[in-house]
Amino acid sequence: MIILDHVNKIYQIDGEEFYALRDISLEVKEGEFTAILGPSGCGKSTLMHIIGLLDTPTSGKLLINKKNVTKLDDNELSRLRNEFAGFIFQQFNLINKLTVLENILLPTIYSAKKYTYDPKTRALELMDRFGIINKQKSYPNKLSGGQQQRVAIARALLNEPKIILADEPTGNLDSKTGRTILDLIRELNQKESITVVLVTHDREIAESCRRHISMLDGKIV
Amino acid sequence: MGILLSIIRTSLWDFSRNLLRTFLTSLGILIGVSSVILLVSLGVGLKNYIGDQFENLGSNILIVMPGQIFGNSMSQGGNFSGITFTEKDFLNIAKIKGIKAVAPAYVKTVTAAFEGKTEIGSYYGTTADIFSMRNLEAEYGEVFLPGDVSKRKKIMVLGPKIAEKLFGNKEDAVGKTVKIDEQGFRVTGILRSKGGGGFGGPDFDSFLYIPYKSSPKINQEKKFSVINFQADKESAIEKTKDSVTALLEKTYDEEDFSVIEQSQIQETVTSIFAILNSVLVAIAAISLVVGGIGIMNIMYITVTERIREIGIRRAMGATRNNILMQFLFEAVFLSTIGGSFGLLLSYLIVLIGSRFFPLAIDVMSVAAALTVSTSIGVVFGVLPARKAALLSPVEAIRYE
Repeated sequence: MIILDHVNKIYQIDGEEFYALRDISLEVKEGEFTAILGPSGCGKSTLMHIIGLLDTPTSGKLLINKKNVTKLDDNELSRLRNEFAGFIFQQFNLINKLTVLENILLPTIYSAKKYTYDPKTRALELMDRFGIINKQKSYPNKLSGGQQQRVAIARALLNEPKIILADEPTGNLDSKTGRTILDLIRELNQKESITVVLVTHDREIAESCRRHISMLDGKIV
Repeated sequence: MGILLSIIRTSLWDFSRNLLRTFLTSLGILIGVSSVILLVSLGVGLKNYIGDQFENLGSNILIVMPGQIFGNSMSQGGNFSGITFTEKDFLNIAKIKGIKAVAPAYVKTVTAAFEGKTEIGSYYGTTADIFSMRNLEAEYGEVFLPGDVSKRKKIMVLGPKIAEKLFGNKEDAVGKTVKIDEQGFRVTGILRSKGGGGFGGPDFDSFLYIPYKSSPKINQEKKFSVINFQADKESAIEKTKDSVTALLEKTYDEEDFSVIEQSQIQETVTSIFAILNSVLVAIAAISLVVGGIGIMNIMYITVTERIREIGIRRAMGATRNNILMQFLFEAVFLSTIGGSFGLLLSYLIVLIGSRFFPLAIDVMSVAAALTVSTSIGVVFGVLPARKAALLSPVEAIRYE
């Protein structure tokens, strides 16, 4: 489903070239659960951002469903990001001035997608399933970390994405809550066959995934 | 639709959380818009006021004056070379066809005395035609008649202002004798007030009208500084002007006198005030620009404060355009709030102030103020909004 072909990401820092990613070639198949493991600064987040179309490679090709997306303009990239990928972040990244329900519905306001379902009904169903149905009108900063991450997962699932990109989703949670969140993501992968790419520095978490890739200094090792 | 609603909601949320900041930011535009509207109102009001004043002074009136009042070149402009006109000039002018009334005037500042009380006033030696020509009516007593002029009667008609100064109660003046240079004149009438005397028009309320033949001591040679005459209809103005000019050119050099239409004076006065007014409006417009810079400043701060939010929205599929529109909308919203309240404020001030000053709200200035304040939002909002739109999603979402 996703193919990275000799991808480099280079930053210019004080005139010197810094390789965040060096010659990455990788395929993520549909329905896979892939963990990317590595210490901080190894380039795993950059890799995830490129797969999620938040960032563009300096050179190399990114193919999504066999289509080269490195040449798309901002509008096309935004639309693909909106419909194809769902993000889960370590910092939850909810907008505190919107209610929980409004946060979950955020992808719909930027969507050009023709909905075959009512987004609000789907949002309420997801909230019910994740045990946060009574928090609709609450604001995110009044919620516990675990609850906030559930809101973020519901938001990521709203547009029925093909892939979930999770960047250290348990990094800001205690271990017990972290495990339940991880179980939730695993359940999505198994029951709904949503492809998952999970970024972590935790070897234990990575090894519990079906496939894991280790990274160091911008390279796959 | 969903986007617009969400944009409005987040803007309102932001504004309500930063009420003081929102208020202070809009204040610049508020002050700018209201001062522009007020000054335009003052200009329009003043123009109407001057128009009314001149209307009051009678129509189809022309004035013969010494010197070149409206010179064709700069060197001739404002040449008041002091010739005076004679009784013969005025009698000849009166014979010209198409002229309804002629009132020459000898004007001199004099001291008027009544029972030991003295006041400075303007002696106005003239004929009885002045009253019909200038629409002057007696409020008490009567004005003098052509017969009174030829009989050299020692009488006078007082303007209401000078009458009040001399007698306190204007009504008491009728029949009393007022002395000018030791000559006594019996007051036959007090005029109804014409107002004015302010914006360039003559102050008819302060004149002492005396038949020109009745005061040999003051105006021995029967000279006149001005000759007013009235055409019998508007279409006759040009013709009578030419006839009078031709007549006077027989006696005087053409550069030593001018025949001007009263409407010309009105136009000149109006245009002087229009220039003054537009300078003031231009200065007020500067405050609009300053207000716009205030908005730009706050929008830059807002963008910086909300970098993370921008990143989140981008991750959810917002395009650069979506982000641009969101911040542009907020800037326009700020400036329009300021503009609307500025409009409201200036409307209230005009409502109250029009009792004391000639103010008139102009619909065009209202439309312009709202258009301008909205445009200021766009112009000064576009740079910060662009900055927000061009942020890299990755950097925005990582921003602490």
